Order: sequence, then structure tokens, then C-alpha cells
Amino acid sequence: MDVIVWIATNVFGTPAILLGFIVLIGLLLQKKNVSQVISGTFKAIIGFLIIGAGAQVIISALNLFEPMWKEVFGITDKSFSGFIGQEAFNNRFGSAVTLAMALGFLLNVALARFTRFKYIYLTGHMMFWTTTIFAGIIIQSAGTDAPFWKLVLFLSLFMGLYWTLQPALTQPLMRRITGNDQIALGHTSASVALLGAGLGKLFGNRENDSEKIKLPSGLEFLRDSNVITALSMGVLFLVGAIMVSTKGTPGAQELIAAAGEQNFLVYSIVQALTFAGGIAIVLMGVRMFIGELVPAFRGIATKIVPGAKPALDVPVVFPYAPNAVTLGFLGTLVGALLWLLVLGQTIGYVFVPTMIVLFFHSAAAGVFGNTTGGVRGALLGGFATATVVAFGQFAMVRMLLPDTIPDTAMWAADSDMFILGPIVKLLAELLF
Amino acid sequence: MKKILAVCGLGQGTSLILKMNIEQVLSEEGVQAEVEHVDVSAASSMTADLIVTSRELAQNLQNGEARVVTVQNFFDVNEIRSALNEHL
Repeated sequence: MDVIVWIATNVFGTPAILLGFIVLIGLLLQKKNVSQVISGTFKAIIGFLIIGAGAQVIISALNLFEPMWKEVFGITDKSFSGFIGQEAFNNRFGSAVTLAMALGFLLNVALARFTRFKYIYLTGHMMFWTTTIFAGIIIQSAGTDAPFWKLVLFLSLFMGLYWTLQPALTQPLMRRITGNDQIALGHTSASVALLGAGLGKLFGNRENDSEKIKLPSGLEFLRDSNVITALSMGVLFLVGAIMVSTKGTPGAQELIAAAGEQNFLVYSIVQALTFAGGIAIVLMGVRMFIGELVPAFRGIATKIVPGAKPALDVPVVFPYAPNAVTLGFLGTLVGALLWLLVLGQTIGYVFVPTMIVLFFHSAAAGVFGNTTGGVRGALLGGFATATVVAFGQFAMVRMLLPDTIPDTAMWAADSDMFILGPIVKLLAELLF
Repeated sequence: MKKILAVCGLGQGTSLILKMNIEQVLSEEGVQAEVEHVDVSAASSMTADLIVTSRELAQNLQNGEARVVTVQNFFDVNEIRSALNEHL
């Protein structure tokens, strides 16, 4: 009995170790050599631990961003505190998330094997974030003492179904975009992609294809996620800082005092770049463990499911309509700024328009919107993306997981999670 | 051992698939090399023998020591094979 308790605590209860074991098994199944097995296992464990460190950096920057914009809009309540936070959440529930990811993937493989939905979901970082956010919603509703195996079982069933059906839903349009039936979309932007296609069909003109126009090459920097994050957050922090500087309120003085000797505007820009740095750290961590996990997953899937189609990350659609990607982003930028102001002025919510989410999702919506509605479809798809993300983030941070990981939901929660989040919440209330 | 970087904008999903496809080509050709997948910012500060990426990102990576190979379709193993063959 002691042995079981020891294993439960130290292996299943220590997510980094559990993840290390799953990757170890995956690498052994692929018959990798000793050197590859050792480096892969360690990189997976270290990668997972890095995520918590990056999350701390992001919070430290958001700790200026939120009060600063609250001051600008004159909002008084201090909601941004008292949550568990990504690092502590990973320590407590990371094992359940890790196991649910692995079991959910096996369900995806089984469904692909035995049904006509032959899609294998391979976008590993989104597998991790989606499962994490949904785990947060369940813990919010069921409490921190939710039974471990019940949590794992529910999440793996839900994720397995989502990973199988989401690519199936987008595939009819993917066939039109790619011109063949070889690859599928496996990404949490599916809902806004479909929304973009729908809006394009209603209000666009398919003949006015975005790829007929020439866009300025000065938009090339959009390809580097670190640069767009730093630039856009830099502008928002700077505008917020200037507006706070012109106010003489006690709140404004308190914020400016936090900069110490440093000029408040310089301090704010450094915080914006710190935010971008935090995201880069988290992504590095995710890359380190997903990079070991996904090849193992693919190895398993291709052996078991003949004729399986890989469901892949959203950049797979970019080459088919690069202009639509840019148009979608322009649409989302207009929407994000509009909703930042509207949400701030009306319901008093400070929207964090993270460019990684907005860029990749509006790109999907742009490409899908263009196939049905040309230029107008792409722009509308982008605008719809900002709308879903802004209101989705508000609902998620305020209602669906205010006590668990709202910090993560502000920058890592995606369109599909906002659409499915309320369903997860409802099911959690019924079942837990 | 040669070092190859597979590069996409975020360094997460797409470059990982590219990495797996490069590794498949390498093992078919019997070439030993270490392949890593990274985002474009990280790639420009890393040393490698060869960088494989899309045409759009290649412009940002031309200044380093590594040779840059562009691939239009990251999922087309045949295209990757012919692109790599000139450099292996």
C-alpha cells in the first residue's frame, strides 16, 4: 500500500515527472537511441517546469497593465488578484492535465481508426493549453478537491471528441482552400474560421479574391510573433502610461511611484517588453516538451490508423492565401482597439489583446473568409475574431475561471475555448 | 554532427511537423544530423549548418552563417527531400 501511495504522490502527483515518463515511453516505442531517449526525457521535464517561470513573468507585467488601464477608464474594483495562478495550478492539477492529454489523444486515435473521421490532432501546444483551460473551468466549478480520476476521465473524453470532430467540421472548407484532402486544420481557431467563412458568404464577394491585390512588403514583421507582441503591447502600455501620467489622481500617483527612479514611460515600455519576454519563455517551455511528445504521438497514430489525415497547426493555411492573413489581422486590430475602449468604458473590463491569439486566429478567419467572400470576407473574419476573443476573454476571466487561472486565460485562451467553455462549465456543474 | 533548424513564426506546431519530415528524409538518406524546431527570432541567434524555413521567413535569416533553404509546403516530404539534397 505504501508503494502505491508513494507512486501516487511522486509520479502521478508530480506532473513534471509524470510527463517525463510519458515522453520516455513514447521515445522507447519509437526505438530511439539511448542518447535521444535521455535528452528527450530531460528536455520534456525541464520544458514543463519553464512554463511556470514564464507565467510569473507575464503576471508581473500584467500587474501594471491592468491597474494602469483601470485608472485610465476610472474603474475602481480590483479583480486581478486572489487566483491560483498557472505555476501553482500546474503543480496541483498538471498531472491530471497531462494524463488527460495522453488519454484524450488515444481516444482521438481510436475514433479515427473506427469511425469515418480520420483526423489525428497533432497541434500539441494547443492540446496542452485547451486541456489546461478546461481543467481550470472544472476546478472553478467543482472546487480544488475535485476527484483526480473523475477530472482525468471527463477531460480525456471531452478533449478526444473535440480533437476528432473539430477537424471534421472545418474539412469541407479546408478542401476548398488547399485544393486536396491531404491535411486538416487542428487548431482552436476553428470557430472563428467557420464564422469568417459564414460572414464571407453573407456579406462578401468571392470574386474579389484577396490574392489578386498587392500588399506592401512593409508588413513582413508580422511573421515574427515576438515582434508583433512587443510592438502592440508596447503601444498599449505607452498610451496607457501617457494617459495615467496626465492624471493627478492618487491611483495614478501610486502607479507612477512604482517606477521608482525610472521614468514612468520607460518603465511601462520595459514592462511591455517583459510581457513579450514572458510569453517567449512559456513558448520555449511548451516547445521543449511538445517537441518530444508529438513525434511519439504521431508514431503511435500512423501505425494504428491507416489513411489518417494529420490535423495541423493553423499556419498550414497561410501559404494558400497570404494576403488574406494580413487582411484578417488588419480586421482584428481594428476590432481589438474598438473592444478595448468599449469594454473598458461600459462594463469596466480591461481587455488584454494578446497578439499571438489575435494574429493566428484572425489569420485563420481571414483565409476562410476569403474563400467564401474575398477581401471583404477576410476583413470581416478578422473583425469577428477580435469580437469573439474580447467578449470571450471577459466571460472567461470574470465568470468561468476567476479563481483558478484567469492570468493564463488572458493571453493563452482561444476562440474555440470561449465557445466551448460555457459547455464545459455546465457539464462540470452537472457531473462533479 | 550537422545541425539543422526547422523554423516557423511561432516555433511550435508547424516547425515541429517540418522537423519530423526533415528527420524522415534524413533517415531515408542515411544522413546523421541533429534537427531542432524554433521560432524565427531564436533561429537568428543560433548557430547551425542549415536552416529550413518558408520563403517569407527566409529574408529574416539570410544574415547568419547558416545556409538557408526554403520549402513551400512543409508537409511535402518530396519537396523537402529535393531541397535538402542540394545541401547534404
